[in-house]
Amino acid sequence: MLALVRQRAGLATGIGIVAALVIALFVAGEERALVIGVYTGSAYGLVALGLVLIYKSSGVFNFAAGEFGGVALCTLYLLHSEGIPYGFAVVGGLVAAMVLGLLTEQIVVRPLFEAPRVTLLVATAGVALLAIAIQIWFFDSQGRPIAKAFPTTDRVTVLSVQISDQRLWLIGTVLVLAVVLGLFFTRTNLGLAIIGASQEPTATELVGISVRRLSTFTWVLAALLGGLAAVIAIPDGGSFTPGVMTSGYLIPAFTAAVLGGMTSLPGAFVGGVLVGIVQSFATNASIFQDGGALDIPGTPSTLLVFIVLLVVLVIRPQGLLGRSS
Amino acid sequence: MTELLTRPAAAQDRPARFRPSAAGWLLRLVVWAAIAYLVLIVPLGRPALELQDFARAACYAIVAISLNVLLGYVGQISLGHAAFVGIGAFMSAYMVTVQGQAFWIGVLAAAAIGGAQALVLGGVSLRIRGLYFALVTLSYGLVAGDNIFQIESFTGGGAGQQAPKPQGFESEWRYYYLCLAFLAIVLYVDWRMMRTKSGRALLALRENPRVASTFGINVRMATLFAFVVSGVFAGLAGALLAHNDLSVSATTWNFNLSLVFVIMTVVGGLRSRPGLVIGGAFFALTPYIIEKIPGFDDLLVKIPAPFDLTPETARLVIGPLLLLITLIQFPGGIGQQIRPITRWLAGHRFDIHDKGPKEVQITDVRA
Repeated sequence: MLALVRQRAGLATGIGIVAALVIALFVAGEERALVIGVYTGSAYGLVALGLVLIYKSSGVFNFAAGEFGGVALCTLYLLHSEGIPYGFAVVGGLVAAMVLGLLTEQIVVRPLFEAPRVTLLVATAGVALLAIAIQIWFFDSQGRPIAKAFPTTDRVTVLSVQISDQRLWLIGTVLVLAVVLGLFFTRTNLGLAIIGASQEPTATELVGISVRRLSTFTWVLAALLGGLAAVIAIPDGGSFTPGVMTSGYLIPAFTAAVLGGMTSLPGAFVGGVLVGIVQSFATNASIFQDGGALDIPGTPSTLLVFIVLLVVLVIRPQGLLGRSS
Repeated sequence: MTELLTRPAAAQDRPARFRPSAAGWLLRLVVWAAIAYLVLIVPLGRPALELQDFARAACYAIVAISLNVLLGYVGQISLGHAAFVGIGAFMSAYMVTVQGQAFWIGVLAAAAIGGAQALVLGGVSLRIRGLYFALVTLSYGLVAGDNIFQIESFTGGGAGQQAPKPQGFESEWRYYYLCLAFLAIVLYVDWRMMRTKSGRALLALRENPRVASTFGINVRMATLFAFVVSGVFAGLAGALLAHNDLSVSATTWNFNLSLVFVIMTVVGGLRSRPGLVIGGAFFALTPYIIEKIPGFDDLLVKIPAPFDLTPETARLVIGPLLLLITLIQFPGGIGQQIRPITRWLAGHRFDIHDKGPKEVQITDVRA
């Protein structure tokens, strides 16, 4: 019995933390944070899925993950404002994201295949910056309104928080994708090939699998995930600004991925929800506001997320659900 | 016969060290003089506002050198360097304006706090490997912007803090010379540091930490040492920047600026001091350059909308483009490209094929 618990230590810790968190929130009267955290965290989780995917297959921290989504949003806005129906505009946006993923893989990742991972990190950051710059070039840096896909705002009300259709779709998509991708990597030949290529590229080539094609596939898939994240999550707020995905979503997504374990896809979702809850709690809880007991200057959520990141990295570097390498 | 085997290598066996001819020395001197003229004399004829830009260029060069210690010597990346520089800036402004201390105390305090926060951050992150460390620095940069810079008593809140120029250096050209002097000091310290045992330990560390530790190099101490040096330089640059702009505000020191710092260090060229100075100066002066190139403005306007570029947007686009080109095609940055010239200026033969020491690319262990 003890052996079973030790084996599943990560899961047990995760459940323990979640339970403690839920109880603490109810006690503090902040149970709304739970609900808000779930759907904001789902957005982080969706971006985190793309991050974990790239990390599992190439060991890279992909800083362009946010802008894969940003490009999708931009294209969605462009097409929609030209009169194209919303559904086709969404598809167009996703295609644009995949194209960016393809370009990034061909132009930036391939030449730097053997380079240190830090170099690739900087290179993907460069791609993100370039994408933002191009958006600002064409649009200037103003915010633009963007319509929701599903206008119903009051589908469900949980713990006095309104959950719109859009949010339900967000949560649902992330859940489904996390499970599907998890199964993909453990049960399908393609998924196993990707893992194998990341660990032993030479051996994989010897068996007749093209590592290059796998790399292209992975990056395009990750770009699709990023695009989905942006297209579902951002319209909820009603408008978008160039760079919003990177400034608002990338860091929490990275924290979520680290929290869940950089190699665990379900972990990305769990991590995302946890980060969402922490953020929501930090933003709304009265003890952090001016005059409260723990008055934190400025934006409390930034500091709290930073502390969470540090604590996880120092105490449990492999994250809640990851395997220690 | 045995004589041949036991005789130690005589001086005539080694190839003679290259010494430039008299004409060679003269030519090098002329070029050095031209550079000195360009850097020291020409700016004096420009309006005061431009001198502010030049002083900023010198400060950015210091930041590039600071970031190079981490990125080029140790191989760790800091994506929150704007926080280090910004806290130095606020510290100096605080000491001078709120505490009423002299400028030099402010600079000292800024350098000290730069080193101190680097020490704390480095100490905490010693157990954290490469890529994760980048995340920590990034997150720290955000915390600095969102939390630390919002502490009203320290930073003056939304209005920012005043930072008057020091006595005796009020005029722009004197302050420019002051910044140049600090840049020279930083360059010298950096050069000396890399010639010491600790400096060489750092380079060994970057190549392969495990092998380095088998040679008895204390990996942790060497990394911490590098951090502190990097932080001290950054704090110093922050102080100089604060007094250059005459006020400090929180919005300047954001994530975007951290990325600009990384870009200018990489594009300038890691481990190449001339390259770093040029990289820093170039990125500080980009809007200046764009405006000053005759006809560039008209060219930009002639491009039909929505493709038209403002100088601001052009700067936003050029930076990452240069970064990508550097990383993919010219990893040594500007420094590597001008290496034949810089080596020549240092008294060596002009060798157009000189690409610097061959970098041993060791694919590091995944973080």
